[in-house]
Amino acid sequence: MVPLHFSHFQSLLLFALIISLAFGTLGRRKPIERVKYAAWSFAMFVLVGIALGWLMYPFSK
Amino acid sequence: MFEDDTGAHTAAEASGEPRAVQNPESVTESGLGTADSAIEPNGSEAPSAARAIAVALAGWLLPGLGHALLKMWGRAMALFLTVGFLVYLGAGMRGNVFEPGGEDAFARLGYVADAGAGSFYFVARALEVQGSDVSHADGDYGTRFLATAGVLNLLAALHAYEAARGRKA
Repeated sequence: MVPLHFSHFQSLLLFALIISLAFGTLGRRKPIERVKYAAWSFAMFVLVGIALGWLMYPFSK
Repeated sequence: MFEDDTGAHTAAEASGEPRAVQNPESVTESGLGTADSAIEPNGSEAPSAARAIAVALAGWLLPGLGHALLKMWGRAMALFLTVGFLVYLGAGMRGNVFEPGGEDAFARLGYVADAGAGSFYFVARALEVQGSDVSHADGDYGTRFLATAGVLNLLAALHAYEAARGRKA
């Protein structure tokens, strides 16, 4: 298969999107709750990921 | 985390079967019920543990199959697609597909996580013909994608087991 290449940020977004959609679909019963939960999960994945990245930044040098 | 598609939480409810009314002929001398199912004090038939284990095993072997057997079609499809997509991306990004008998605890844990994807573990190995390459960021992320696919599938198999046992999961 053709190798796929993504940057850190693209990988983070892709991971957050897939897992959020799965959590939303599997974890809630009503459609509106699913959308809300998926959006909340996605936002948290991305924000916490970026925050942790900045927290680790000083140790990368 | 999980709730039911239709609000029906038991395998019997999901399959449309009515709750069993106690049948005196189905109760053994010990009072524990038949080999397949036990009669609860309120007279209803408890879901079979063997069937629940079979449902969980099916869900582990093929992501979504456990929920499909419980007629939770939406979740079955979501699981199949999610785990499949994660495995495809993980293998495409040349993530590490751990093999049994790893050298250290991380490799062994990685194998447990990867094997959680059931048959899709072998799909990942078949797709990754060039072998893993974790010297780049995407290869490292691919390893996480593969492990996440396995852990998500194990969680789903556990949910299918709980739903088949008639517990709110």
